[in-house]
Amino acid sequence: MTTPTTPTPTGTAIRLAGVSKTFSTSSGDVVALDDIDLDIPEGGFVSLLGPSGCGKSTLLRVIGDLVTPTTGTVEVAGTIAAEARRTRQYGMAFQAPGLMDWRTVRRNIELPLQVQGVGRAERRQRADEMLELVKLTQFADHRPRQLSGGMQQRVAIARALAMQPRVLLMDEPLGALDEMNREHLQRELLRIWRATGTTVVFVTHSIPEAVFLSTEVVVMSPRPGRIASRIPVDLPYPRTDETRLTDEFQAAERHVRERLHAVLEPTTAGL
Amino acid sequence: MAATRTAPRPSAAVAPPAAPPPPVRARRGASRQLGRTLRDLATAAAVIAMALLAWEGYKALGQATGDLVPLTSLPLPVATDDAAMPHVWQVLAALAGPASTASDQTLLAYYLQQTSVTLREAAYGLALGAAVGVCLALLMRQLPWLGRASMPWLVVSQTIPLVALAPIVVVWIGGAGFPSWVAVTVISAYLAFFPVTLNTATGLLSADLTHVELMRSVAASPLQTLLLVRVPAAVPSFFTGLRLAATASVVGAVVGELSAGAGLGIGRAILTAAYYYSLAPANLYAAVLVASLAGVVFVQVIALAERLVLSKREH
Ligand SMILES: Nc1ncnc2c1ncn2[C@@H]1O[C@H](COP(=O)(O)OP(=O)(O)O)[C@@H](O)[C@H]1O
Ligand SMILES: [Mg+2]
Repeated sequence: MTTPTTPTPTGTAIRLAGVSKTFSTSSGDVVALDDIDLDIPEGGFVSLLGPSGCGKSTLLRVIGDLVTPTTGTVEVAGTIAAEARRTRQYGMAFQAPGLMDWRTVRRNIELPLQVQGVGRAERRQRADEMLELVKLTQFADHRPRQLSGGMQQRVAIARALAMQPRVLLMDEPLGALDEMNREHLQRELLRIWRATGTTVVFVTHSIPEAVFLSTEVVVMSPRPGRIASRIPVDLPYPRTDETRLTDEFQAAERHVRERLHAVLEPTTAGL
Repeated sequence: MAATRTAPRPSAAVAPPAAPPPPVRARRGASRQLGRTLRDLATAAAVIAMALLAWEGYKALGQATGDLVPLTSLPLPVATDDAAMPHVWQVLAALAGPASTASDQTLLAYYLQQTSVTLREAAYGLALGAAVGVCLALLMRQLPWLGRASMPWLVVSQTIPLVALAPIVVVWIGGAGFPSWVAVTVISAYLAFFPVTLNTATGLLSADLTHVELMRSVAASPLQTLLLVRVPAAVPSFFTGLRLAATASVVGAVVGELSAGAGLGIGRAILTAAYYYSLAPANLYAAVLVASLAGVVFVQVIALAERLVLSKREH
């Protein structure tokens, strides 16, 4: 078909084994995740796709050690997740950019480095590199509220990348953007991912977004949260707007859609 | 570690970034904030002018009807003779006159001098109260059990009548050999710390959960989370508390002077004027007028500081 330019996986970045998570609430227990096994290769871009409430965010937060699983183990970069977080292997970005209004854009990006104890000069230099990466150099000294939503999200991504993390965890980071900005940032995200070689776990509920971005789409099913299917996406990188128009892209999208609908309406499965 | 240079092969489909909005020019906040404060002062002056007009109008009405509500035989709530309600110009004349028979200082100069003593006590009291208030709020935030245990007592501390408490503070601090202004400062701080504690504690709790979670994701220490997220988030609430505390600190200083047996301060001067009220009624109103205006200026200075800090943060 085409020359495969997918980054070659060199190993396993993230390994989940027998992970389940039950939340105890006043109205009873909620099984958010049930017996999840998942391997994510080093340098992969894996999307978690599924209906709302199927446990995507919980799974992402379990990987990031923000939620402790009820059972099972999470290995990241060869150690347990807690150790990976302690040694600062993660960059995280969420649907809300979560920038701090009292800091300039540059100082927002510097925050993780400041926490890490990186000196002032190096911090500034690294932040400037990140600003260049997300093409916001001219806004370094602006306040976040002076930026558009899409630009704020790019700052949040730059902040997540500032520590050069092994693993980038993103929970619907483009969910609040309009279609134009969204597609633009998807392209930017792929460019950044290819430039940095980071392993990305990306939560979304948009099928085209998952297909466009990912090396693999993981479809989840709700109640209890399980992995319904894993779909490799064999489209070559770099992917462009033309990619979206190709038959291969549309076939991949259709395939993912069928799997997702099988999750939503089990009776129509197998079409 | 992974390289962080931009993609070696920028794809043709990578659109240029959306046209950036013109950078908002960071206006120097200082002059604008000063202008706003001047406007507030002008508003205050207009309010005072209206109050003076109302005063004279009421007095004129009472004089015309023999202190009765017009067209009835009901007495007016306050008598309008010159002893109970001197004319505005009588009060101003008193201010322009000598402070005492043996003095060549005007009463206004004397009252301003006394007021400066009181405002200094209030400023020290506010600084002390704010410092204590912030420390308490930080402690309560970091040790939630301490916060839960101490909050009822902090509330009780503010319901004890100040007139009952002030003499005790004066006796204790005077007994320790300190000058009386120290006792007044402590009483002022006692009133000032509470709004600062309450508002700062609320502000520390108001930190954005996504910010707190972000700090967790990069393995920040609790101290780092406090200093880099919670404290900055609490700054606006802290200033709200400080503004309330400024008012309280002036009240505390005036009431403290009444209890301290100090010879100085506008509180003391008000007490003296009340003592000689039947001889020179205008002096009491003059003293109250000067004290009130000084309090307004004091609070406005704090409000200006608040605006300067908050506007600097945002631009
Ligand atoms: N902290 C929590 N406490 C109780 N229930 C939770 C909590 N977080 C998530 N859940 C529940 O777990 C399920 C999965 O949630 P989530 O992972 O947020 O789903 P998704 O991100 O796919 O929409 C939902 O039923 C949700 O209500
Ligand atoms: Mg979610």
